[in-house]
Amino acid sequence: MLFLVLARKTYARNLQYRSAHLVHNIASALFGFIYVSIWMGIGENRPLGEYGLTGIVSYVAFNQASLWVAAFLTNGLGMEQSVRTGQIALDLMRPVHLFYHLMCKEWGQIAYQFVYKFLPIYALYFFVLPLHVPSSWQTFFWTAAALSLAAYITICLNYLIGALALWTTESRWLYWVNYAFSMLLSGFLIPIEWLPKTLADISRSSFYPYLHYIPTRIYLGMEDRSALIGAVCWCAAFTFLCLAATGFMRRKVEVQGG
Amino acid sequence: MIKWLRMYRLLIAASIRSRMEYRFNFWFSTLMAVIINVVEFLMLAVILLKFGHIKGWTMEECGYLYAVLTLSKAIYRTAASDVHHLEKYLVGGDLDALLLRPIPILLALMSQNFQLKAGELIQGTAILTICMGVMIRQGQMTWTAIPLTMVVIMSGAVLLFAIGLLTATAGFWILRIEELQNITEDAARTAAQYPMSIYPNWLQWLLIGGIPVAFANYLPSLYIVRQQMDWWIIPLSCAVAFLVLGAALAAWRVGISRYQSTGS
Repeated sequence: MLFLVLARKTYARNLQYRSAHLVHNIASALFGFIYVSIWMGIGENRPLGEYGLTGIVSYVAFNQASLWVAAFLTNGLGMEQSVRTGQIALDLMRPVHLFYHLMCKEWGQIAYQFVYKFLPIYALYFFVLPLHVPSSWQTFFWTAAALSLAAYITICLNYLIGALALWTTESRWLYWVNYAFSMLLSGFLIPIEWLPKTLADISRSSFYPYLHYIPTRIYLGMEDRSALIGAVCWCAAFTFLCLAATGFMRRKVEVQGG
Repeated sequence: MIKWLRMYRLLIAASIRSRMEYRFNFWFSTLMAVIINVVEFLMLAVILLKFGHIKGWTMEECGYLYAVLTLSKAIYRTAASDVHHLEKYLVGGDLDALLLRPIPILLALMSQNFQLKAGELIQGTAILTICMGVMIRQGQMTWTAIPLTMVVIMSGAVLLFAIGLLTATAGFWILRIEELQNITEDAARTAAQYPMSIYPNWLQWLLIGGIPVAFANYLPSLYIVRQQMDWWIIPLSCAVAFLVLGAALAAWRVGISRYQSTGS
C-alpha cells in the first residue's frame, strides 16, 4: 500500500509541470530525429545487417522513447539534495527502508514519464517514421517486462550514485558519466554487435545491454523472453548492493546543511 | 570597455580562487567532464570506423565538425558559465544580489562560478589537430585553414553565447528555461556535430534560419574542408554571430527591465 501511496504522490506532483514537460518532449523527439537521420544517411547505399534500414530506424526511435523509462530517472534519486538540506537524516530514521522508500517514489516518476513522455514520443514516431509495431500482444508484454527490469536496474544505479553524496559533493557527475557510458554500451545508438570487439565484450559483460539493447530487440522480435534471465540476475545483484550501501550509510551521516 | 574587461578579469580571478578552495571537487569534475566527452565522441567514431563515412563525410571531416563545435562551446561556457544557469538566479531570487553590484549585471553573471572547461578544450584541440593534420597531409586543405579555423571557433563561441543568452533572456518572461535550453542549446548543438546534409530539409532550415548553429561549424567547413562554398561564408558566419549577439543583448536589456524578484 505504501508503494502505491508514494508512487501516486510523485505522479501527482509531476502533473503540475505537464506543459513544461511537453516542451521537453519536443527536444527529446528532435534528438530522436537526429539519430534516425544519421542511420538514414549511413543506410542509404548499404545493407544494415539483420536490421535493414527500416529496422534500424525502429531500433533507434524505440530506444529514444524508452529513454524516459529506462534512463532519465531522478539524478541520484534526489539524495544529493537531501544531503545538502539535511533531509537524509530524517529519511534514514523513517520506519521504512530508505531504498524501498525512494524506489516507490521513483516508480511514480517512471509511471508519469511513461504516460507523458514515452507515449507521446512513441505516438509521434508512429505517425512520422516507418516504426515497426509488433503484431503479437506477447511481444508487447515481454517488451514491457524488459523495460520494467531496465527501469529497476536504473533505479538501483541511481540509488548507489545518490548514496555517494554522503561522501562527496560531486556525486551528480557520476550520473552523467553513467549516462555517457550507457549511451555507448547499452546499444542505444549502435547495436552492440557493431561495436569494436573490446567495447562489445565490455558491454556484454555488463548490465548495460539490458537497459536498451535487449528490450528493443524483444520489441523488434529479434530476441525471445529467455534474454531476460540476465536482467533478472542483474536486478538481484543490484538489490543486494543497494541494501549493503544503506548499511554503510547508516553507520555515520554527515549532512551539509539542515 | 577596457574598464569592464579589467573588471571581468578581476572577477574571474576571484571566482577561480573561490573554486580552488575545493581543489578535489575541481579536479574530479574536470576528470568526469573529460570522460563524458571522450565517450560522446566515441559514439561518433565507432559509427565512422564501422561504416567509413556518413553521406560522403569521412572520419576526419566529421571529427573537424565535432572539434570546432566542442571548442566553441568550451570557450562560451568557460567565459560565461552562469548565463546558462540563469534559471537558478530567477527562481531563487539570487539575481537581486547581482543587481546591487556597481557593474553591468550581465558581466557580473558571466563571472559567477567560473569553470575552466579544460577537458573539452584539451579533447577538442587534440581531435582538431589530428583531423586537420591528416587532411593537410592528404592535400585536402592548406595551412591557411588554421587561422580560418581559429576565426570560425571564436565566431562559433560568440554565436553559441548569443543563442544561450537569448534563451536565458526568455526566462524573464517564462521563468523556467531548462526545457527551452534543451531545444536551442542541447539538441541544436548535438545536431550540428554531424554533417547537416543527413537531415531532412525542414531540420536543415531550422538549423540555418531558426537556431543558426549551422554557422558555427557546418557552413564554414563547407569552404575550409570541402571547398563546396566560397570564401564569403566565413565573414557571413561572423556577421550572423554578431547579429544574433546584438539581438540577444537588446533582448537582455528589455528582459532585465521586466525582472521581478521572487522576494524572500
